[in-house]
Parts: sequence; structure tokens; C-alpha cells
Amino acid sequence: MKSTHEPRGFVRFAPSKSDKSRRVDIRVTDMNANDALWWDTRLGPKHARMAARADRFWSWSTLLPMCHLVQLAKRRRCRPLVIWARADNSRFLRTGMSILIENYPYLDVRRPDLSYFVWFISSADSGVLQSDFGMSHPPALVRILLDDAIVLSQNTGLDGRIGLHAAAAGGKTLLKVYERCGLASLSPDAALPAYVRRKNDGRFFYADERRAETLAGALDPSR
Amino acid sequence: MRLEAKAPATLGAVVEAVTRLSTYSEAEILDSVSAGKMKDLFPFKTARRRQMPADTVAEEDLIEASASPLNREQHSALIESSMPRSTRAAKRLRADRK
Repeated sequence: MKSTHEPRGFVRFAPSKSDKSRRVDIRVTDMNANDALWWDTRLGPKHARMAARADRFWSWSTLLPMCHLVQLAKRRRCRPLVIWARADNSRFLRTGMSILIENYPYLDVRRPDLSYFVWFISSADSGVLQSDFGMSHPPALVRILLDDAIVLSQNTGLDGRIGLHAAAAGGKTLLKVYERCGLASLSPDAALPAYVRRKNDGRFFYADERRAETLAGALDPSR
Repeated sequence: MRLEAKAPATLGAVVEAVTRLSTYSEAEILDSVSAGKMKDLFPFKTARRRQMPADTVAEEDLIEASASPLNREQHSALIESSMPRSTRAAKRLRADRK
């Protein structure tokens, strides 16, 4: 299906986590091995001590090549991205990471179609950014990380459809995060696409075309 | 088993790990990784001597990502950039380019 949208760009400003009236400059780059190394070395040990974080055991240096290779074996492509934010010294610091999958089966089986799948997303702990990296106003990034997937989906002709699975390690807190971000929760008794080969554990979320457009439109002033 | 990045001798082990992983769903992989079982899934060891990138970068040095899908060549380059390069190899590459 061809998209009816004009190409959207990624968001370039995010609200500050500590002061929502303040905007923080952000930029998006493609992720490479150096980004993963930096994250694992500079943030990983600190995140590992935070029991509530679903990503506390993630090693991006391993995830990055692994995700590319696994999806290549499945004849799909990954799109790993980094979100940088402006620190107090005016330079940019890595604050968010994501690995997205292109052309993934859409989770709502009533509409056999394709979507973007948000496989891994992570944002740096704001306290660590403030205390260790000279960033007085860390950005609120979860909505932005999801928006990157919606924008790519729209620009790929998938009309903004996205899906994700909330990691079990994130518990109920993570479910609430995605609900607050405006995603639809897939009913726990809904069937999953055959490809997903997994029991529905009630932790799948998605956005259809209309919801995606609403979410993306709300961030247009920040692009 | 430990896989060494860029070591041809372990190519078979990489293929074996990827083949096994490709039978899992993405949600299963996510949950296993989040439970700290990544080394069991993909026992990949990055190169030991790698130069740590700087914490911060000037805006003009950032190459912003395209919000459109990548073509085949761009995607191949992206995959290549995901593989770690040891400091020694990077120095050798720089020397070769001079």
C-alpha cells in the first residue's frame, strides 16, 4: 500500500524530563559499533545496578550484530538508531538507543499486513545523565523512540503501523509506560500472527494507521 | 563456546548461533536477553582492544539518520559498521589509507 503522507522527519526537540516546558535539542543517527561500545561502557554498569530497568542486562555491543544477523536470516532488515541530546556544554551525548525491524507482521491479525516492530529500546537514566555527564535537562525519550518507528513506518509505505512486546522484566510498570504513550494494548485473548510463534502473554502493543498519525501529528511542531 | 568478532575460525559457530536464534520469536529473544541470558543465546565476544569514543560530539560532527528506508548499499554499510574493529585493526586500516 502506498503511503499518502508527505515524508516526515525525525523529532529534533524533546521535552525535558524535569521541566516539561523546556525543550531539549535532540538528533538521530544510525547506530554503529562505537555507539554500542560507548553505551555498554559508560552507561551499562550504572543501569545494571537498577533492578527496575528491563534493559539492565542488555549488551548493545552484542545485540547490535546479533539483531542484524538474525533478521538477515529471516530475510528482514533491522534499523538501529541512536538519539543524542544536547548537554550543558552544547555538545551532544548519546541518550537513547533502539533496534527496529522493518516489514514485520502487523500484530492485529484481523488486518494481515506489515508494520515496523520495536524490538529493543532504551533511554539513559536521567539521574546518571545529570550527575555524570553534565546534562541538567535530560530529555523524555520513550515517546520519541516510538515516534522514530512510526515515522519510518509511514515513510516506508507501512502507514505508521508499529508493534512491540513489552519485556517481561519490565513488569507492570513498563505496560503503563506504553499505555501512557498512547499505544493500544493487544487483547490478551487475541490471536498473534502465525510468524510470531508465541503465546500471547498480554504484553503486546501496537498502533494502527489512525493512532500512529495522531501520535506523529502531535509531535510535528518538534520536527 | 565464545565467538570472536572477525575470527574466521569461528564463522561456523556464528552461523550455528544465528540459525538457532532465528527459530525463536523476537519476543522470546527480548525476554531472554532481559533475563540476563544473552551469553547463552549468542556468545559473542567483542574485540578486546578498542578505542573508547568520546562522551560528547559537536553537532556538526553528527551524521543525522535518514527518516526514510535505506537502500541495499546503505544497509550493507550499516551492518558492516555494527561489527567492532579492534584498535590495532583500526590503526592498520588508517595506515593503509595513507
